[in-house]
Amino acid sequence: MPMTDNLVFMMGEYEALVPGDRRYAENHLWLKDDGDALKVGLTSYAVRLLQDVFFLDWTIDSDTEVRGRQEIGEIESSKAVSSLFAPCDGHVLEFNDAPLEDPSAINTSGYDEGWLYRFRTQATLLSPQDYLEVLNDGWEDTQRMIKGQLN
Amino acid sequence: MATKTLTVVVSQSPSKNPAKRHLEEELVAACMLDDTVDVAVVPHLYNLDSNHTGTLFLQGLRGHLVVLSWMYPRASHWLLDRTGIKGHQGETMLEEEDEDEDIEIPEPQGVGGVELPPRNLYCLDLGVDSDPAVFLEEIARIVEELRSVAAAAAPSDETVQTVELMDWISGSPKPEQLEKYLDPMSVLTGGEDIEPVKRRWYPVIDYERCTNCMECIDFCLFGVYGVDTLDRILVEEQDNCKKGCPACSRVCPENAIVFPQHKEPAVAGALGDVGALKIDLSKLFGNITGLDAAVSERDVELLRDGREAVGASVGMPKRQPDQDSTQRDEIDDLFDGLDAMDL
Repeated sequence: MPMTDNLVFMMGEYEALVPGDRRYAENHLWLKDDGDALKVGLTSYAVRLLQDVFFLDWTIDSDTEVRGRQEIGEIESSKAVSSLFAPCDGHVLEFNDAPLEDPSAINTSGYDEGWLYRFRTQATLLSPQDYLEVLNDGWEDTQRMIKGQLN
Repeated sequence: MATKTLTVVVSQSPSKNPAKRHLEEELVAACMLDDTVDVAVVPHLYNLDSNHTGTLFLQGLRGHLVVLSWMYPRASHWLLDRTGIKGHQGETMLEEEDEDEDIEIPEPQGVGGVELPPRNLYCLDLGVDSDPAVFLEEIARIVEELRSVAAAAAPSDETVQTVELMDWISGSPKPEQLEKYLDPMSVLTGGEDIEPVKRRWYPVIDYERCTNCMECIDFCLFGVYGVDTLDRILVEEQDNCKKGCPACSRVCPENAIVFPQHKEPAVAGALGDVGALKIDLSKLFGNITGLDAAVSERDVELLRDGREAVGASVGMPKRQPDQDSTQRDEIDDLFDGLDAMDL
């Protein structure tokens, strides 16, 4: 498979992979061409922060128009319970049933088997390089936030 | 033959959280060693539909039940009731985490359950504690309570048997239900034998609070509600409900409509009248009120269905609690709240 350059973001010692074969949204989702739509999943950066995912749930039905940053679901992991939000204006076509039953694929294969839903959008998405800059810009704040919540 | 006093049902969390799994397994293991109780495991009750073998199994059980689930007790009790697994609400001594002893919970004024068989349902929320001992002590207390009640009602041993026989006669278990009842091992932990479930979303009516006012059936435009042969409000078409939408719960003047999976405790069936009793100062600062939220949640679902948004033009509640004579507002509530605090 031809791979455009994969990028890596260093989270301390941890290498968060940013594959070059897809695009990104600022809320740490990847979007990859999949026929007539895009597959959406959580980036390695997000998964590293979540750690083990125990539970995934959607608060909307499939085949639904959504707005950017609209709350559409919830994720429970060993580190956090968090709402999940749409990456941008678009249409959620269908959810991946597998991680609803057993979400461990989000940890073991977050860029492939652990995809979350199929999506259609007209919005402009981030290139891998753009997303890397988002991570660079946000890293200080993220570390402060995590430490703040641990204390 | 030892007579089992009751059946303990463990309803599994849909989450793979190891802490939750661990608690469930500890409880099942302890109950299996306890010869005063039977134990069974079913998937998360809320996701079971009426044809699931877990539902049929529960419907086939006779006698008192302790149901341990990851839901507020109100939610699981009335969810079971709607599924035909009925009984009188057994009182438990377990306290919800966010239960505030200083707040007086008003006596429920609802229509209550109908056709309740002579048995108790004790619904316990597994979320209240991570220590299995807390639940096991409560189960032991319930066993004792039931024994002393039975002993008081029937001093001789033999009559106890008669009571159980009567329970059997009054019910009519189907063969497959009977089989499961006599072989609860088949649904015990491991999960391989348990039929998979899909996630569901629908309201549960707490009939202890529901006054049959029909605000919900007027407000919901998706055909979820209906009435039964007694003209009692009923969640008739559960799967017509719109995933994530809790609007009918917000318009219910008695806080009788529960969505067990909703993240707001008041909507998910927390004990007490969380929404109404606490002084919500955010309203004073322009936050969206319950009714406004319900109207916009309903409009979102209508638009998604390709229908017209109706705003506040259809099915607006005609009555809300404490609004009989004069129109109250947030300021009234605030002052009443302050008075009640006895400063």
